[in-house]
Amino acid sequence: MKINTGRLLRVDLSTGRTAAEEIPQVFTEDFIGGRGYGIRYLYDENKPGVDPLGEENKLIMVTGPLAGNTAMAVSRWMTCTKSPLTGAWGRSVCGADFGAWLKFAGYEVIIIEGKAARPVYIHLTRDDCQVLDAGEIWGKDTRQAQEWLTGRHGSASRTACIGQAGENLVKYAAVVSGRRTAGRCGTGTVMGAKNLKAVTVTARRRLDLADPETYNRLAKEQVETIRNNPGFKSHKEWGTTSTQDITNGIGIFPVQNFRYGQLLDYQKISGEAYRKLRTGDMGCYSCAARCGKVHTVTSGVYAGAHSEGPEYESIWAFTGPIESASIEASIRADELCDDFGLDTISAGSSIGFAFELYEKGLLKKSDTDGLELTLGNHKAMVELVRKIAFREGIGNLLAEGTRRAAAAIGKGADIAAINIKGLELPAYEPRGAKSQGYNYATANIGASHCYGYAAQDIFGAPFPRPTDRFGEDYADVVIFNQNGTARNETGICCGFSGGWGWAPLFGKLLAAARGIDKFADEEYLKKVGERMWNLERAFNIREGFRRREDSVPKRMLTEPLHTREADGEGQMVRHQDAFLDSYYKLRGWTREGVPTTEKLKEIGLGFAAKDVAEQKIIK
Amino acid sequence: MGIEINIPPFMQHIAGGVKTAEVEGKTVAECLAALAGQYPELKPRLFSPRGGLPRGLNLFINGESAFPGELSRPVKDGDRIHIAYVTVGG
Repeated sequence: MKINTGRLLRVDLSTGRTAAEEIPQVFTEDFIGGRGYGIRYLYDENKPGVDPLGEENKLIMVTGPLAGNTAMAVSRWMTCTKSPLTGAWGRSVCGADFGAWLKFAGYEVIIIEGKAARPVYIHLTRDDCQVLDAGEIWGKDTRQAQEWLTGRHGSASRTACIGQAGENLVKYAAVVSGRRTAGRCGTGTVMGAKNLKAVTVTARRRLDLADPETYNRLAKEQVETIRNNPGFKSHKEWGTTSTQDITNGIGIFPVQNFRYGQLLDYQKISGEAYRKLRTGDMGCYSCAARCGKVHTVTSGVYAGAHSEGPEYESIWAFTGPIESASIEASIRADELCDDFGLDTISAGSSIGFAFELYEKGLLKKSDTDGLELTLGNHKAMVELVRKIAFREGIGNLLAEGTRRAAAAIGKGADIAAINIKGLELPAYEPRGAKSQGYNYATANIGASHCYGYAAQDIFGAPFPRPTDRFGEDYADVVIFNQNGTARNETGICCGFSGGWGWAPLFGKLLAAARGIDKFADEEYLKKVGERMWNLERAFNIREGFRRREDSVPKRMLTEPLHTREADGEGQMVRHQDAFLDSYYKLRGWTREGVPTTEKLKEIGLGFAAKDVAEQKIIK
Repeated sequence: MGIEINIPPFMQHIAGGVKTAEVEGKTVAECLAALAGQYPELKPRLFSPRGGLPRGLNLFINGESAFPGELSRPVKDGDRIHIAYVTVGG
């Protein structure tokens, strides 16, 4: 059986040259695909110390070996780069159809390098790739840009693009496809820095599988398993539009910039409340969950607001930080973020940061262009989303992210900058879910809830072992979650599908897609997850990251949480040093958080051992 | 020694902050009914109006998923049932 490694396309925006390449089989065997390919290539191709917004930073788009086929929930895709927000390895994941379309065009990896002299877009088919003029769509939002590109290249096209936020180099600009976003880490900013407006793929469905017969049989079994699973049915019904019922109930819904764990009147933003404004469902390629819930506002000041979303993180981003219970405002803000191409988490958190500083007098009305950043003032919040996208007034400062904004303001503003490694925290309060918080602290991209989600803390999942969400002694659980997520993102599997009962089929599907039998061995997949994690860490070590960056924000170490009516009042993170010692030991790293030479060689990363041993510090 | 039921964080406040409860029963359904007997406000969270499991609830027996057919699974003294959702992200 011929091994199917997938193919790579290289696009040099400086010269306009494009070239297809074969992916070495050793890369496939060691990293499988998806995020594994992303880090393998970025580690090799990015020199340490490159400017994230410079020509030398590579932007890598990846889809997985399972994409575009009949199996469900396996057509996610990613953007990988050195993040302009954090200076670390950055990866951002997205849904909709684009991942399948990359596969139809015959590619699993696109490496975009250099910088175009003027705005361009890439148009890709199975037989050709062109770098074309984007002058007519530069300055347009993502909806307008996609409409133009579909009009030009036909309905068999799908696009990933940036909006004005990426063009204006907002540090947390997103890449948007349909109405889904690769939101985190500012990968859209890197596109903007390269003068790259969009990547459009025109293709029709075509399978690329080593063993199509086995694959299709397994895919049929996977789909039947999923369709009968109660977790799938619940996700189909709600998406994540009711998660705030749980997080508010247990006091981990961050409010007022992570000072409280429960919103006053949180029943007003319940899943049922959002359901009243739901007007449809959207989904990703070949997934029957259709978990994207569409909402429309028909009256009031936000009448006409219409968004595929908000989902949980965006619900939180536009209610919690400013303590607003306006569902309508959250829908409008979510819509604007999709239009302009902004990460809702970083945007909402940056706005919450500004509101706190205004409360404390560190920002005044003269700084905010007359906006009153007072609790509940959702109109000001919505206006700030626009200002950030266009870098207007206070928006120019907030567009830098909370870490840089706090540094510019000084006067103790850093306590309000709730980020890790520069990436703003998502919607789970670390003091009430400490394994989640320690995932944030140690995740290679910065504070990401999806990089090692602590379902044990939040939902009571009992594997590998149950946790006490206030306990700080679960380094093994954090590692289990992180390595498991890495393993899943070789596929690239949707994170929501993990609990839908089909996990035993994942490796078999990979084996059939690639023609590599060892992928069906779960123990091998675990090793690949660990290998990916360590290479990402090695990338960060080369960029100068150490133990000091693996920290929850200062607020969690020094201020008690206030949970109002929920459990957890007074909680703080108290044993971070002990946790990190345990975590690093289990990882096989030094006390400074550096993978040892022995560890790297043990897991097949001998090529990275020299870099790490020399601990080249470029900062 | 009966069967230990672990109550997930998002239900503990309904059960007065209790994290684990001991019940008697020969099946998962009987155990959940016994738990609802101890904490009646939990009942709508444990059973749908038709008497099945509510959507999204996952049950584990001694750390292993009890899906499919969770409610009819047999249990014995010393077993541990965990009630959970299993989802990621948002």
